[in-house]
Amino acid sequence: MAGRRAALKAVDWAAFAERVPPNQRAMYNALKTRNDALTARLAALPEKPPAIDWAYYKANVAKAGMVDEFQKKFSALKVPEPVDTQSAKIDAQEQEAAKSTAEYVQASKARIAQYEQQLQKLKNMIPFEQMTFEDLHEAFPETKLDKEKYPYWPHKPIADL
Amino acid sequence: MLSRLVLRAAPAALRALPPPPLPVGVLHATRQLHTTQQSLAPLPPLPEKGGEVRHGLIPEEFFQFLYPKTGVTGPYMLGTGLVLYLLSKEIYVINHETVAAACILSVIIYGVKRFGADVAAFADKLNEEKMAKALEVKNEAISSLQAAIDEEKKEQWRVEGRTYLFDAKRNNVAMLLEANYRERLMMVYNEVKKRLDYQVAMQTLKRQKEQDHMIQWVEKNVVQSITPQQQKESIAKCIMDLKALSKGAHAAL
Repeated sequence: MAGRRAALKAVDWAAFAERVPPNQRAMYNALKTRNDALTARLAALPEKPPAIDWAYYKANVAKAGMVDEFQKKFSALKVPEPVDTQSAKIDAQEQEAAKSTAEYVQASKARIAQYEQQLQKLKNMIPFEQMTFEDLHEAFPETKLDKEKYPYWPHKPIADL
Repeated sequence: MLSRLVLRAAPAALRALPPPPLPVGVLHATRQLHTTQQSLAPLPPLPEKGGEVRHGLIPEEFFQFLYPKTGVTGPYMLGTGLVLYLLSKEIYVINHETVAAACILSVIIYGVKRFGADVAAFADKLNEEKMAKALEVKNEAISSLQAAIDEEKKEQWRVEGRTYLFDAKRNNVAMLLEANYRERLMMVYNEVKKRLDYQVAMQTLKRQKEQDHMIQWVEKNVVQSITPQQQKESIAKCIMDLKALSKGAHAAL
């Protein structure tokens, strides 16, 4: 019976729980309860059913050959193992997750690079006391007054004052 | 008349001539004027205080300039001499405007001396507030960027935990399969055992019933077979036995 003994990997639930973001807590809890339920169910079932005492039955059942017939059929019976339909799906999911993770990590790194760049710019800025207005517009482009769009003072819509 | 024509034609002719080539030295001269770098950014910090001034008007450099030749009193002597010269020669005429000027200037000077410091402090405070606001905006931007970077790093760390999820899922599937298989085995065993036990139970029940029936039948027959004669004989024998027993009991007591 080697086929069905797929080794159960020990899952470190504590470390797993740490990494779950708060908005996915409910899913994590559902998974955990399901896992616990299955573990309990598995633990309650014995690995092999107890052996049938054929000698006793042979001695006691009067019908000739019935016990023999049963014994023969019983030992010949092969209980089919349940077919594993989900593992392939899980593997596919894992591949997909790996791919999307790689993408996400990449996007995240790009974002971090952007943030770092802005951070450096802010940190290397000259102090405000030594700035002219031109320097200010260079450092913070949003403060620049659009003299083409609003040619008359105050060069921005009155509502923005 | 001819001379007027020539005179009128001269400017036109002069304009018609090609402009004289600029001497090369002029171009060089204009370039030499800008000796320092043009855009000096960032600006060097502006000095906090203006140049030193004596009596609010005359820069200190003037006094320093005259000091080697004339000592400390030099500039004052120069000033007094100039003023007396202007008055005596009536280069500056004293009239009613002088009085007006004196009054206005004294009021202005009094005002500046009394309120100057306060106004300056107020203006400085306004400026400080603007600076502080700008600085706050900058600091906030820096801290929010830092926080964003940390968040991203944390999310990356979180994402690394996806292996746990898939392990757990696979565990679930394996456990489910195993449990199902065991359940099936148990079912087979139970069914077979049930049937065999049924057979055994049926047999025992049947035998019991047969035994009971036979016992009853035997009893019935025996009772039937006891004839009245036998009954009397057996009763007499019983009485004799009882008497013997009672004698024996009396003897024992």
